[in-house]
Amino acid sequence: MDSELIPGGVKRCSTRTFFLWTLPWIALLTWGLVSAFLCLWKGLNQTNMSNYFAFALWIVFDLSVIALGAGAFFTGFLTYIIGLKELKNIINATVIIGFICYSGAVAMLGIDIGQPIRGWFIFWHVNVHSMLAEVSFCITCYLGVLTIEYLPLILENRQADKIPALHLFSHNLHHIMAIFAATGTFLSFFHQGSLGGMYGVMYARPFAFREGFYVWPSTFFLFILSAIAAGPSFTILCTKLAEKITRKRLVPENAFQTLAKISGWLLSTYIVLKIIDTICWVYGVVPRAGLTFMDFYKEGPYGVWLLVLEIIIFGVIPAIILMTPSARKSEGWLITGCLMNCTGIVLNRFIFTIVSLAIPVMPFDKFVSYLPTWQEWGVSLALIGYGVLIFSLSYRYLPVFPKERELNPVT
Amino acid sequence: MEEEHGHGNKYGMVIDLDKCTGCGTCMVACAAENNLSVRPDESDKQHSITWMSLYKISNGKKFPDTEYSYFPRPCMHCNHHTPCVSVCPATATKIDFNTGIVSQIYARCIGCRYCMAACPYHARSFNWWDGYFPKGKGLERYLSPEVSPRMRGVVEKCSFCHHRLMRAKTKAYTENRRELEENEYITACAEACPVQAITFGDLNNPEHKVSKLAKSPYAFRLLERLGTEPKVYYLSTKDWVRKFADNYLPGEFKPVTSPKG
Amino acid sequence: MELNRRNFVKMLIGGAAGLQFTPLPWKLTDDIAIWTQNWSWLPVPQAGEFTLEKSVCTLCPGGCGIEVRKVDGRAVKIEGRTDYPVNPGGICPIGMGGLQLLYNKSIRFTGPMKRVGPRGSGIFKDISWEEASRMLTARISDLRKNGKPESVAAIDGNPGRSTMAMMVERFIKAIGSPNYIRIPSIEDTYRMSNIIMQGTEGPMAYDLENSDYVLSFGCGLLEGWGAPGRVFNAWGNWHEKSQKKNIRIVQVESRASNTASKADRWVAPRPGTEAALALGLAGVIIEKRLYDDEFINYNTFGFHDWKTADGTNHTGFKTMVLKNYSPAQTAEITGITPDRIISLAMDFIKAGAPIAIYGKGKGTLNGSLYECMAVQTLNALAGNINMPGGVIIHDPLPLNPLPAIKADAVTRRGLNRPRIDQAGSKRYPFSNSLVNNLTEAILKDSESPVDTLLVFSSNPAFTLPDHGRFEKALKKVPFIVSFSPFRDETANMADLILPDHTCLEKTNDIVWPTGLQYPMYGLARPVVEPVYDTRNMGDVIIGLAKRIGETTGASFPWESFEEVVKTRVMGLYNSGGGIVDYDGSAPAWKQQKQRGIIDQGYASFNDMWKKIKSGGMWYRPVHTYKNREGLFKTPTGKFEFFSTQVETAVYEYSKQVSRNKALKAFGIKEKGDMAFMPHYNPESAGKKETAYPLLMVPYEIINLCSNWIPGPPFLNKTLFDNELRGNDSFAEINPATASEYGLKENDRVIIKSQVGEIKVRISLFDGAMPGIVYVPSGFGHTAYDEFLKGKGVNPNDIIQAGKDPLSGQPVWWNTQVQLIKV
Ligand SMILES: Nc1nc2c(c(=O)[nH]1)N[C@H]1C(S)=C(S)[C@@H](COP(=O)(O)OP(=O)(O)OC[C@H]3O[C@@H](n4cnc5c(=O)[nH]c(N)nc54)[C@H](O)[C@@H]3O)O[C@H]1N2
Ligand SMILES: Nc1nc2c(c(=O)[nH]1)N[C@H]1C(S)=C(S)[C@@H](COP(=O)(O)OP(=O)(O)OC[C@H]3O[C@@H](n4cnc5c(=O)[nH]c(N)nc54)[C@H](O)[C@@H]3O)O[C@H]1N2
Ligand code: SF4
Ligand code: SF4
Ligand code: SF4
Ligand code: SF4
Ligand code: SF4
Repeated sequence: MDSELIPGGVKRCSTRTFFLWTLPWIALLTWGLVSAFLCLWKGLNQTNMSNYFAFALWIVFDLSVIALGAGAFFTGFLTYIIGLKELKNIINATVIIGFICYSGAVAMLGIDIGQPIRGWFIFWHVNVHSMLAEVSFCITCYLGVLTIEYLPLILENRQADKIPALHLFSHNLHHIMAIFAATGTFLSFFHQGSLGGMYGVMYARPFAFREGFYVWPSTFFLFILSAIAAGPSFTILCTKLAEKITRKRLVPENAFQTLAKISGWLLSTYIVLKIIDTICWVYGVVPRAGLTFMDFYKEGPYGVWLLVLEIIIFGVIPAIILMTPSARKSEGWLITGCLMNCTGIVLNRFIFTIVSLAIPVMPFDKFVSYLPTWQEWGVSLALIGYGVLIFSLSYRYLPVFPKERELNPVT
Repeated sequence: MEEEHGHGNKYGMVIDLDKCTGCGTCMVACAAENNLSVRPDESDKQHSITWMSLYKISNGKKFPDTEYSYFPRPCMHCNHHTPCVSVCPATATKIDFNTGIVSQIYARCIGCRYCMAACPYHARSFNWWDGYFPKGKGLERYLSPEVSPRMRGVVEKCSFCHHRLMRAKTKAYTENRRELEENEYITACAEACPVQAITFGDLNNPEHKVSKLAKSPYAFRLLERLGTEPKVYYLSTKDWVRKFADNYLPGEFKPVTSPKG
Repeated sequence: MELNRRNFVKMLIGGAAGLQFTPLPWKLTDDIAIWTQNWSWLPVPQAGEFTLEKSVCTLCPGGCGIEVRKVDGRAVKIEGRTDYPVNPGGICPIGMGGLQLLYNKSIRFTGPMKRVGPRGSGIFKDISWEEASRMLTARISDLRKNGKPESVAAIDGNPGRSTMAMMVERFIKAIGSPNYIRIPSIEDTYRMSNIIMQGTEGPMAYDLENSDYVLSFGCGLLEGWGAPGRVFNAWGNWHEKSQKKNIRIVQVESRASNTASKADRWVAPRPGTEAALALGLAGVIIEKRLYDDEFINYNTFGFHDWKTADGTNHTGFKTMVLKNYSPAQTAEITGITPDRIISLAMDFIKAGAPIAIYGKGKGTLNGSLYECMAVQTLNALAGNINMPGGVIIHDPLPLNPLPAIKADAVTRRGLNRPRIDQAGSKRYPFSNSLVNNLTEAILKDSESPVDTLLVFSSNPAFTLPDHGRFEKALKKVPFIVSFSPFRDETANMADLILPDHTCLEKTNDIVWPTGLQYPMYGLARPVVEPVYDTRNMGDVIIGLAKRIGETTGASFPWESFEEVVKTRVMGLYNSGGGIVDYDGSAPAWKQQKQRGIIDQGYASFNDMWKKIKSGGMWYRPVHTYKNREGLFKTPTGKFEFFSTQVETAVYEYSKQVSRNKALKAFGIKEKGDMAFMPHYNPESAGKKETAYPLLMVPYEIINLCSNWIPGPPFLNKTLFDNELRGNDSFAEINPATASEYGLKENDRVIIKSQVGEIKVRISLFDGAMPGIVYVPSGFGHTAYDEFLKGKGVNPNDIIQAGKDPLSGQPVWWNTQVQLIKV
């Protein structure tokens, strides 16, 4: 039915199968849209966020997907700026994943703010001292960049490519892609940093506060590092998943290995710095605020196990796995390593967002807990539905994996 | 923007906790003065709006040695690197270096709530709902035109009754004065407190009672060691009360032993 | 144009730039921004001319000076007045929220109405004032025609001594009914105690400001006792650091209330044993001979043992106390250790100007008479009666009395009938009203002795202890008329509503705010135009009387309520010496000290009247302390430790029955001389019943209305979430008691007494005495709107009110209960 749209020389499942495949994701997306509508129409009272939990599930999701989406700019950087040619085979996938993550995050932010219609005040009345302003600027610009990076791929669709103007347009875009990759890299480094900075600068919240270099708290650098460490792992995971689902090899193994190796080394660097940072925090910020390390881990369910989980289990272990060539060459270990790496970063974003706000600062203040509403889950999970749909559509109709034809000759 | 300022006024408050009875008049006065909306259920403290909040603290002893005390908590109008102001992406909250007052511009606030995350005092509330003024009840009839009612989706907080400063200044202008007298501008909560626990004035003016009280050996501020430099001071002669104001490592807390003032 | 790279980039940049030069995005974003700032469903307060109007708050008998800020006639804020002597500056949270009571249409009657729904449903129909007045007067005239004017009864909650209360009483009497019944309050206890011990009718006047040791037996100093504005102000002054005063406040109360917590010392006896504690302290003072010999010997009666003319030996107060209230005995009763009793007594008596004051929470309800008297003995022992910082004895305020009512035969006959509540009868010689007896009388016979019940400024169906029985009684009354401005529980039972103005709309007076040590008259005036079609109750009464005509009408010769007030105020002018303004920076007391005299500031009565009307006050700071000549007006002319009047009353009543039966009827357990002296009655501490092993004690807080006024919604913001959460209110219990019952914070429990049960949640409170369940008063309305209705429970629902000995008033402060975990 839709065979005219499918790239030449590759095999795709039947329209019917494809349609069935999309159904659950459409359902997920619909749930999210209903939730989003309610939040926009009735207001944020539809959530369980509160004056204590000013940031909540959405922000954890936001930060996580932005971090995981870092695979896009970082692979772009490695491909176009550093020149790792083998990554060209996976770059399209990373761009799509990045686009999904960033567009989803921006949409979610639009729902998260109380006055979405005034969102542009950030640009109009900008406070240059605000890390959030920096984040907003960079994310919006970078989403533009991602769109531009994504566009030529869309235009390479078999039918679109037939239109000369579009063909020319996409051709030209391809040529200037390095400029966008560079811009994207620059923007991304900054907003990943600023996201970390957002927490690190909150000097009146000792749990989150970090000292650092000039205006940048250490979290600025740690967030960049953890994002570029986890991003490639996430790309690997998504691609591997696509391979599993399509039951095809889509990307040559060397691309995976390069990414995994880089991911592992960056993660190990990150973990070393994170440990140093934690020690500095324990002996610097914490006692200066009159607190002990354990004061932060006695409230509600948040114990020291969080730290152990984040740094040791989901930090040190995946770093070792990914750095060990023999381990990462085994698909099982590779996936385990990537998965743990990604989990670690999500946990890190969760801790900075939720635990930071949950720990009372005033001695007489009380600990309150927070559980998201179905609307919050809806908006958050919709991102997954949206992502799978975009990726599936792209895979089906666009030449996402340049080596697919080669690796899976149609007989 | 972050530079310090020694000149001009620095309005501030001293709250005597030995006097404070926890009566809540300050909260009601603030709500009435500043057009705070009351929702049918105000018992969900995580979602209700109060610019002035009361915290009840206990000395932790068993009956009959138990003692309670209260912390009335307005916005601290943090003077140093004002946590909420520095983070606001849309400049919807600002510190005025001529008065020391940290403002909140509802019409500009986008409701990102970053300021709330940055404020350790929970001085900021978000409008999770539109103001509750059902048609036909007549409740909107007592609203003051000096303070605009807030819309859903924005953050609000204590303004040190900024409109009262404007009112006092206007009066002074019409009388050809540049400077305000002490007590010409005081906040609604300070005025209402039936035990006069709250003193308001210019901390930069050594003649003002606040600046004298703030130098008392019994004076302290909330979370002082974080460096926010609140312009709200507290007084208490009780060590156990003072100890609640900040976090201390063992042995760090110094009781007031030989008060001079 | 060829689409090469160069052109392509040009096109991109050009397009983006071009868009900026079109007005479209700017106009749109601007419009959108403006739209988000002006949502049509949000009110926009109208600006206008600002004015300030001075008046007096009458939401409680405290009578604070207030200033109302208005914009074009619309009241936008209530503030305290610094130029008012009672509360120079601050006010309480209830007064502060007053505008919500003024404007909230859903809790007010917007005009006269008659009931169309079933009783209690709150469904009424608008009628005209003409029709409403006709309905009521026709009914009263009929009753008069049938010779049954006494079947009209009034329940009145207007503060005692106020002109409004006087108007209501006069109206009822002029109709020909003796059944003017007042809502019980602490003022009743003070009145009776003063009559019995001092022979004076004047108000209880405590010179707190000049005292240096305030020993408060249960007064909720920070909960709203007395004139709250005044007490809070004194509290602030006591704690003024710059003045370096050494004033000690001691609170005697079983629960760590705000007063107890913030006091310098908290003494927690078992509830209901306060009298024993007071007498125990007296015992220590007597034993150590630290009492004021001169005062005791020259000014008191019944201290030492004595022999009467007929040779009978009598036990005096001294012997009685030493025998029954030694520190060890007192400790046994109260649970306070003997050392603490001794040290407390010593601290008290050694202070420069100690004062012992009596109360129960806010004083919304009565206290225990013997307890009040027991506390008063401490003041006598300290000799601080009519001394600076002590108890001051005053004559009532010199307001002009109103002329005697005109009475025809019907009226005279009616007035000679016994009161339904038996107050003032030989059985209840000291009480002037007993609502609890009214309830029982209505319930007793198949037909209610009350045909028409008029309810003024009160909400007994909510505020009375054991109000379930009262409601049952209401159902039996054929016709009920409410004058309440509010849609309260009692008004919802009424057949006819003649709504009064609220506080800010009417002329009303506060005659001597409770507990104040100097004569004070406060006059509230309308500061806003009536918001709805309501009328001043005083004017309505005059109108009704005139419409009834005959001698009833002739008893009300005035045109308006204001005229009545003016007539009475003339008495203040004639008495001389009062002043009508107050300057906080130079208070009259200071002037008086410095210059001996104070400037009255008015030349003629009219001048004074004008000033009272605009300033809202008349007061007389002059007081000659220490003068005890002719002070006590008891039969012995002395302060009576042993009450000859109680003895006479028992004797009079024992003419009908035996002496022992008489004592029993009065509720007095003691048989000997002790019966006529202040003593501790074990029953007021509650009986021990195994099925109901715990005591429930209601408590009050300043930011919750437990009287007839609905709480302004703003107060809900001030309640903690362990006081009210959703619709659940909390009972406070000690953690130790809680663990005995396997209860945790927030658990839901049923509190069950012999009359009913309520459902609450548990709040663990270290300040609660073990074995006691503390339930806040003021929650549990079944009337009003979403801000009050259904929020929490009312302890009155399950209070099993006993009878206080002698006074016959309800014992509401402890009820045997059991806890059942839900
Ligand atoms: N820091 C700060 N700066 C501001 C503003 C702010 O809010 N804060 N607001 C801005 C705004 S909105 C404005 S409009 C400007 C106002 O700025 P200016 O126009 O400078 O206003 P004024 O300070 O009122 O000074 C007006 C001068 O006119 C003189 N004057 C009065 N009447 C007469 C007259 O009849 N004839 C003549 N010849 N002179 C007269 C007065 O004495 C005074 O010196 O300030 C702007 N600058
Ligand atoms: N006493 C006295 N009165 C004066 C004058 C004077 O000199 N003295 N000057 C007069 C003059 S010239 C002028 S122009 C007027 C100025 O009078 P106003 O227009 O009242 O000016 P501001 O005091 O600056 O107040 C503007 C308000 O808008 C808020 N605000 C800031 N940004 C935004 C936004 O984007 N949207 C919205 N909705 N609100 C925002 C600010 O927080 C502030 O509360 O005052 C006049 N009145
Ligand atoms: S009004 Fe005064 S006494 Fe009452 S709670 Fe506020 S500060 Fe304390
Ligand atoms: S107390 Fe909070 S809201 Fe107020 S200035 Fe400080 S950080 Fe900002
Ligand atoms: S919520 Fe409003 S005031 Fe707070 S940071 Fe965001 S824009 Fe600024
Ligand atoms: S200063 Fe004004 S705004 Fe702030 S708490 Fe007090 S009354 Fe409210
Ligand atoms: S204490 Fe009484 S008179 Fe004073 S403001 Fe409160 S309610 Fe009104």
